[in-house]
Amino acid sequence: MSPIGPLLLAAFLFSAGVYGVIARRNAVLVLISVELMLNAVNINLVTFQNLLFPGDPAVTGQMFALFIIGVAAAEVGVGLAIVFNMFRNRASVDVDDADLMRW
Amino acid sequence: MDALLEYTWVVVALPLLSAVLITAVGKQLPGKGSEIGIAALGLSWLLAIGIAWQTFVASPVEPLERSVDWTPLGGGFVFELGMLVDGLTAVMLLLVTTVSFMVHVYSREYMQGEPRYTYFFAMLGLFTFSMLLLVVANNLLLAVIGWELVGLCSYLLIGFYWEGKSNQDAGNKAFLTTKFGDVGLIVGVIVLSAGMFGLTDTPFNILEINEAAVAGQLSTTTIVLGMLLIFLGCMSKSGQMPLHVWLPDAMAGPTPVSALIHAATMVTAGVFLLARLYPVVAQNQAVMATIAIFGVLTLFFGGLLALVQDDLKKILAYSTISQLGYMVAAIGVGGYAASIFHLFTHGFFKALLFLGAGSLIHAVHSNNISDMGGMAKAMPHTFWTFIVGSLALAGFPLTAGFFSKDEILIAGEIWAGAGFFTGSLVYWVGLAAAFVTTFYMARACFLIFAGENRSHHTPHESGKLMLAPLMVLAVLSVAAGYLLSPFSPEQPNFETWLATPLLPAETTFPFTDEGTAAASGLVGDGVLAAGTSLAAAGDGPVKVLHGVPTWHPDLLAIVLVLFSLAVFLAYRFYGKGLPERDPTLSMGRFTDVLVAKYGFDDFGYRYIVVPVRDKLSAAATYSSNVLIDGMVAGVGRATKNAAMTTYRVVDQQVIDGGINGAAFSAAWWSDKLKRIQSGDVQKYAGVLVAGTILLVLAFAAAR
Repeated sequence: MSPIGPLLLAAFLFSAGVYGVIARRNAVLVLISVELMLNAVNINLVTFQNLLFPGDPAVTGQMFALFIIGVAAAEVGVGLAIVFNMFRNRASVDVDDADLMRW
Repeated sequence: MDALLEYTWVVVALPLLSAVLITAVGKQLPGKGSEIGIAALGLSWLLAIGIAWQTFVASPVEPLERSVDWTPLGGGFVFELGMLVDGLTAVMLLLVTTVSFMVHVYSREYMQGEPRYTYFFAMLGLFTFSMLLLVVANNLLLAVIGWELVGLCSYLLIGFYWEGKSNQDAGNKAFLTTKFGDVGLIVGVIVLSAGMFGLTDTPFNILEINEAAVAGQLSTTTIVLGMLLIFLGCMSKSGQMPLHVWLPDAMAGPTPVSALIHAATMVTAGVFLLARLYPVVAQNQAVMATIAIFGVLTLFFGGLLALVQDDLKKILAYSTISQLGYMVAAIGVGGYAASIFHLFTHGFFKALLFLGAGSLIHAVHSNNISDMGGMAKAMPHTFWTFIVGSLALAGFPLTAGFFSKDEILIAGEIWAGAGFFTGSLVYWVGLAAAFVTTFYMARACFLIFAGENRSHHTPHESGKLMLAPLMVLAVLSVAAGYLLSPFSPEQPNFETWLATPLLPAETTFPFTDEGTAAASGLVGDGVLAAGTSLAAAGDGPVKVLHGVPTWHPDLLAIVLVLFSLAVFLAYRFYGKGLPERDPTLSMGRFTDVLVAKYGFDDFGYRYIVVPVRDKLSAAATYSSNVLIDGMVAGVGRATKNAAMTTYRVVDQQVIDGGINGAAFSAAWWSDKLKRIQSGDVQKYAGVLVAGTILLVLAFAAAR
């Protein structure tokens, strides 16, 4: 199976994630963009496992993807808690408003 | 016997103590301080009598020198604070304390009711201290200190009545004139001491200087230059022409001051110093001739001036100048003992005359003899004491003045016999001046005591406190002469008293020819002031210059004739009161010259005072105020400007600028840099991504 399709998809997802993280103002959407980038990495990990070590019983790439999915879930939990608190305090989830740590 | 001599310093210290005490507590005492002065001087006097007695009976004595190192002068030389007690010191101590004590007692009554009564006694004490310091000093620097102090006291006391402008002027004149000579004195002392460098650690020590001079260790240049400069100081202090001009004016002071300072003691300081350094003087013929000539000029021309004076104190002042001339001339013709003998007797009778004059002035409230007359009846005690003083001054036989003046004339005769013309000059001019002296004193006595009272007051005799000193001094004016007369024993007499065993036996003046000197009697033990033959004194008494004086019938005859002639002339002119035209004032041009005082005062005023005042002092003021002050101010301004420039440029701009610049630039840059930390996390992420892309591209390119 050609790896081109999955790698292009991963590249697109990652780029969309980066765009989302940099450009979106809504904190929830920023979190979703981060998830996009993480999933792009997952696709890459699985793709390269199958490309470089086909039939290897030690499926390291897949195992890493599973870990990342777990970590991403935890990260989303923390991130949503922050967004939730931010909304409570400011009645806004716009990341441009969260600029307290500046000069 | 040395025990008492060790305490000589007490004689000096007591008057100082008295001056200090009077200044401190005098005003609170019932006698306003006079009792302290009299008590201190009385003690001083008794001690001085003891010292004089001890040195006299055992004369000649070894000089006693005691000194402590006062302060180093640098270069290993030491400034001593010390006393030198020998016969000469003892004579001076006796004279100074006696006259000073008498003047203290006298002033207690005389100055009664005067302003500044306490101050007057303090000054008398200070003066006595200064004079005694000069007398006992064992080195020339200490002597100069005493010398300047007596000058200061003289100045203060001449200007005692400082409310009067003329009194202030008299004080200034005395101070400045003597200061002129003092410059010579101090330079002379340094010149003389410069010759002693290398010989000793104490180059100012008088004994050592004398010994070095006799031993020929001092060069002729040192001796001539040093002694002539010191003689300049003596001339100004001892009123030698032409520096005598201050002395008559000094009579502006109170009369007791005139008696103590300007007749008996201070003015003899110059003669004393010459006597102190006599072994040095005697080394050089030129020095001795110079001294003799100035002395002769002074003794004659100074005496003539007294002829035309009307002010009694000025008559006495000019006679003082004349008698000082005798003393100085005697030094110049080898009459060391004669000079000091005359100084000694003159101190008594001149103090007596001045105190008598004070008594008269007290009675008639005028200094002028033309305002007196007929005082003999009203003031019998003043009368006879004054007459005794006058006889002594005129040299009437058997008074002290006769013996001492004769000694000087005989010294001149011996000197002439050794082939020096200054000797005969002293002899003949001295005789002529004795005639003049007799005449003006007789004139004064006749005008004061004979005839009718011309004053506007009823004269009254002075009180006991004023008469007692007069009587004591009158006795001394006669008795002092018997210390060195044909009646005195071979030893001790005044001459052995003064002798110090400084010189080797058979000394004579180095510049005399030996044969001539022997023939004229100049060779002998102790010709140079020294009882040389102390060692050889086993058999018989010590011989000094001419041993016990003998009668000189020729001289006695001349003196008697001159005396009688002068008194006779004076009686003719003045015996019946003040004549219509005073003969001494009717001698045409001669009188004019005398009244103008030979023009010394005019000359001094026109060519010294005026140029100094108008030109020199103006120039000095200009140089001081404009040139020196300008320089100083200029330097100050330049320094200030330099400092201001440094402040503005270096401190304010360079240093402060650097520091402020560093701070400002840090602030500016940090202001710019801090904008990076915008707090916008998305911007950070964008930069992060951009950086990653750049790095990836860079690594790719690097492959």
